[in-house]
Amino acid sequence: MSSPAPAAPPLLRFDRIQKSFFGVPVLQGISLSLDQGRALGLVGENGAGKTTLMNILGGNLAPDAGRIEFAGLPHQPRSPLEAAAAGIAFVHQELNLFPNLSVAENLHLTAFPRRRGFPVIHRALLRAKTRALLEQVSLDIDSDTPVERLTAGERQLVEIAKALGIEARLLILDEPTTSLTDLETRRLFDLLERLRGQGMTMIYISHHLADVLRFCDHIAVLRDGELVGSGPASAFNATRLISLMVGRQLDQVFPGSAPPPDSPPVLEARRLSHPGIIDQVSFTLRAGEILGLSGLMGSGRSELARILFGLDPFGAGEILVEGKPLRRPRPIRCLRRGLAFVTENRREEGLCLEASIADNLLLVALRDFAPPPARWIRRRPLQAAAARIRSAVRLTPTALDSHPVKTLSGGNQQKVVLAKWLLSQPRVIILDEPTRGIDVGAKCEFYQLIHDLAARGTGILLISSEMEELLGLCHRILVLRQGAIRDELQRPEFDRERILRAALHTERAP
Amino acid sequence: MKGAWLRRQGRRALASEYLVLALSVAYFLVLLPWLPELAHPRNLANLFSRMLPLLLVAMGQTFVLIAGGIDLSVTAVIGLTSVLGASLMTADGGWMAGHAAAVPAGIALMLLTGALLGAANGAAVTGLRMPPFMVTLTSMMFLGGLAVWLTQSQRITGLPPAFLALGGKPACAFGLTLGAALFAHLLLSRSLFGRWLYAIGHNPRVAAISGVPVPTVTLAAYVLSGISGACAAILFTGRLETGSPVHGREILLDVIGATVIGGTSLFGGKGKILWTLYGVLFLTLVDASLNLMFLSDFAIRMVKGALILLAALIDALRHRYETA
Amino acid sequence: MTPATRHPWLIVLNQAPVVLFLAVLALFGARSAQFLQPDNLVNILIQSSSTAMVAIGMTFVLLTAGVDLSVGSMMFVGAALAGKLALQGYPLLLSILAMILAGLLGGALNALFVTRLRIAPFIVTLATLYLGRGLGLWITQTRAMNLPESFLHLGAGRWLGIPIPLVILGTVLLIAHIVLQHTPFGRQIYATGQDIETARKAGLRTGRILASVYIVSGACAALGGLISLTQLGAVSPTFGAQKEFAAIAAAVLGGTSLFGGRGRVFPGTLLGAVLIQTVENGLVILNADPYLYPLVTSAIIFVAVSLDCLRQRLVERLSRRLIRPV
Repeated sequence: MSSPAPAAPPLLRFDRIQKSFFGVPVLQGISLSLDQGRALGLVGENGAGKTTLMNILGGNLAPDAGRIEFAGLPHQPRSPLEAAAAGIAFVHQELNLFPNLSVAENLHLTAFPRRRGFPVIHRALLRAKTRALLEQVSLDIDSDTPVERLTAGERQLVEIAKALGIEARLLILDEPTTSLTDLETRRLFDLLERLRGQGMTMIYISHHLADVLRFCDHIAVLRDGELVGSGPASAFNATRLISLMVGRQLDQVFPGSAPPPDSPPVLEARRLSHPGIIDQVSFTLRAGEILGLSGLMGSGRSELARILFGLDPFGAGEILVEGKPLRRPRPIRCLRRGLAFVTENRREEGLCLEASIADNLLLVALRDFAPPPARWIRRRPLQAAAARIRSAVRLTPTALDSHPVKTLSGGNQQKVVLAKWLLSQPRVIILDEPTRGIDVGAKCEFYQLIHDLAARGTGILLISSEMEELLGLCHRILVLRQGAIRDELQRPEFDRERILRAALHTERAP
Repeated sequence: MKGAWLRRQGRRALASEYLVLALSVAYFLVLLPWLPELAHPRNLANLFSRMLPLLLVAMGQTFVLIAGGIDLSVTAVIGLTSVLGASLMTADGGWMAGHAAAVPAGIALMLLTGALLGAANGAAVTGLRMPPFMVTLTSMMFLGGLAVWLTQSQRITGLPPAFLALGGKPACAFGLTLGAALFAHLLLSRSLFGRWLYAIGHNPRVAAISGVPVPTVTLAAYVLSGISGACAAILFTGRLETGSPVHGREILLDVIGATVIGGTSLFGGKGKILWTLYGVLFLTLVDASLNLMFLSDFAIRMVKGALILLAALIDALRHRYETA
Repeated sequence: MTPATRHPWLIVLNQAPVVLFLAVLALFGARSAQFLQPDNLVNILIQSSSTAMVAIGMTFVLLTAGVDLSVGSMMFVGAALAGKLALQGYPLLLSILAMILAGLLGGALNALFVTRLRIAPFIVTLATLYLGRGLGLWITQTRAMNLPESFLHLGAGRWLGIPIPLVILGTVLLIAHIVLQHTPFGRQIYATGQDIETARKAGLRTGRILASVYIVSGACAALGGLISLTQLGAVSPTFGAQKEFAAIAAAVLGGTSLFGGRGRVFPGTLLGAVLIQTVENGLVILNADPYLYPLVTSAIIFVAVSLDCLRQRLVERLSRRLIRPV
């Protein structure tokens, strides 16, 4: 900012912060500073390191190297509590309020005002204190209202009031407008403007670039754990931000792709909708096609996949598998119709971690090897199938079938998940973040596997946060934002900036 | 160094399949010099006849625990099926008194009732998603009350000799239990149902996504537990020559204790029929030895209460090591 | 976005206990004119005071999403101890204190296993149920024990015209209500029961909170045993048996959720206890077979628990995270 430099030191200073997970660098020496009473907009693609940086600041993680200075003191919080005590309040996407308690109680849970000499809450004082806080956030509700009666927007304001209650000097807001209506969003910004006027310092994380550009004083752009751009907001516009966020060129080699043959559709969605989740989603996936589903975290990608596989309900629309409608989808029915779903969360939904590798590999196909009516398992053919599929996905030979699957590396675990579905010979595979948390070598193997599957006529719906993955593998990409398809790109049109523009909010609807 | 070695050996022992069997044998051998009558044929025979119904019910419990549930109602199932079967067969005014088919009909009624009661428990757990312990606690109270109400707390005697022979003769009882154990073992280790059961116990979400019909399989586990209760009722009723609502009322803790001591986990996904056999053996041995020491009923009760706490503690420790 | 609580079915399910209560009153009132007489109603209240007392403690435990199956046995141990001391000539007050101490210790044992060793509450308390019953049988030598008259006098006595059992119940109910609704500790119990992880992150000492509710439950069980003692004047080997059912039923009928974070001792749990006693009382007036009582009680528990489960499922469905405004 071109302010007439008052020589006050910055409130917050990051000094060469580094952090790696399992040897993969996530933050590579971030240095940033923020003055008192300013708002910093933090933008970047998924996995750029924004959340990790904020988790370090908020006491959830410790940095590998580097220092943080806050209010002139070294800041090394060992827990969120310590960070809060230092004056840093973190308003998470999932709000940390207790719906069964009142607004007043949520605001004072660890520090109730008491009657002198008794361990009894001083209700009158509690109400007065709460009213004062609610007034500061312009929330006109009774302090005894249970939080479960509040709308999402009101809860957001209560969360901010909580930050004011601990006399926070720095407020971290992570995607605060996701589930807010336009009116609620406007109220939130009015409040944030006013707080800033009173000297509150803020870090605002959002994919709504228009909001960031309009509201923040400074903007910092992260990409792959590095600070690629930083300066006053006036120096940026949406186009510049997007090109900074994208920046990187293809630097990995992927298997070459063949254009999809003129093949029959295997999976179709027609105007699928569910209130609050997805809106009018239609697409067609053809046999042998790899269709990418791009979008930022929380854009509805995984939710769509879960609806397609019958794990979550949908309100309206139709799903067709190989041209025939799939009524009331359930995993069993989807499986019988030739669908497979490699879930995003392999530890909670993909694998029985304590069970053996063999048991996991065979779980889906088991019923094919247990002929009715008695349903005894034919062990020989089953073992043969397991051995065959192991080699097909190139599972490491050192892992014996009887070992618990949790002893495998992430990449090999993911191969087990894929293999268990391949045993049922699916016609369509939905892959949700198939390469998350696995090393580069395993990733390349995975890409080869996906490519081979498509070449043999399997339809593949690939959900990924990694743009390179989508650009390198897919024949076509759909871009999702707020549960609706915003753009569709054929392979010749692939363009990182266009995808990102569709995925981000670059303007707000009037 | 030595501490680490000890700890490692301790963990290995905890994880060993044969720990409980070894413990049983050791317990028996150590106790023998002090309690020589333990090895007396009559006591051994008595020990085995007490073991059989416990084993039957514990096997049923094993299925439910593997699926991550628990069935506290099984002892009430024993009482109710005993009463129902006896009411049908008894010579003093039974529904089919003196009829040639009374015994098979009685047994069929008992097994069917057991299965239906199990299905009711299973339906409440899977359909209404009620916590298993709450469902089965409530049905324990209800079924126990029902059995008492039906009989007005009277015992039912005058059972047909053919039935008494089946449940009472050691050879028959042994044959029945052995057959059931073999079947249960095969079902768990060799059938689709068995494999699915383990998967559900490990992680019901993964199982459901992988196409396992979770509600049906879970329900079937409770049905098996109900049937196992009915089988135990046949043994109790035959051996004691009466149908009574109090049969088996005292063995609830033994059932869960034996199963968990054997190594079947309260957290689900882990368990074997063979382990349950070891657990039952161990618990019956302890029970018999305490009886021979002329300890009173209340002391035995306390020891058993402590044993189940210990078993749950070992289970929790094992679970912590394995998930660590 | 409409907040989840305004869903019509949820409102119905939340009010279900009260509806049930009124239905039962109407049913028995219609069958027998004697039933709705004030004397009978006061009688019901006195008869339900022991259950209500135990259920108050149970409510504390259920609020943290736990359960305490050992309350009946703790009643028994306490009563056996008090009886033994009283028979040996110790003063009444001392035996009562010993009784409460026994309850506190029992609760502390449960708390130790639940919080320190992290074993499922229902398994821990099932084991202590048997342990306690055995201990009580040992103290009484499995014989019924007739207590000195002083206990019965206490039960029949009045203070300011109010029967002593109701005085004890009223005092504890008032304290429990104030603790739960008006102290930081009480509100933190609700927070812990709602979401223990979030509570821990917010800086609450969840271990202590969990431990304390089991101790409260033990103390309430002992006091419930005291009220029973003053009404029965004797300790039989089945003293307090199956009280855990009645206590859970009273709490859940009163609107306390098995899933934690929801429920009140007043009026909820008190109403629940009175409801159960009302049913039993009504059955007596209707000359029903006494063997039917447990059937009716357990059927009522089943209905209450299944309604609670339906409510919980509805809440979970309604609180699904949204990614766009509705």
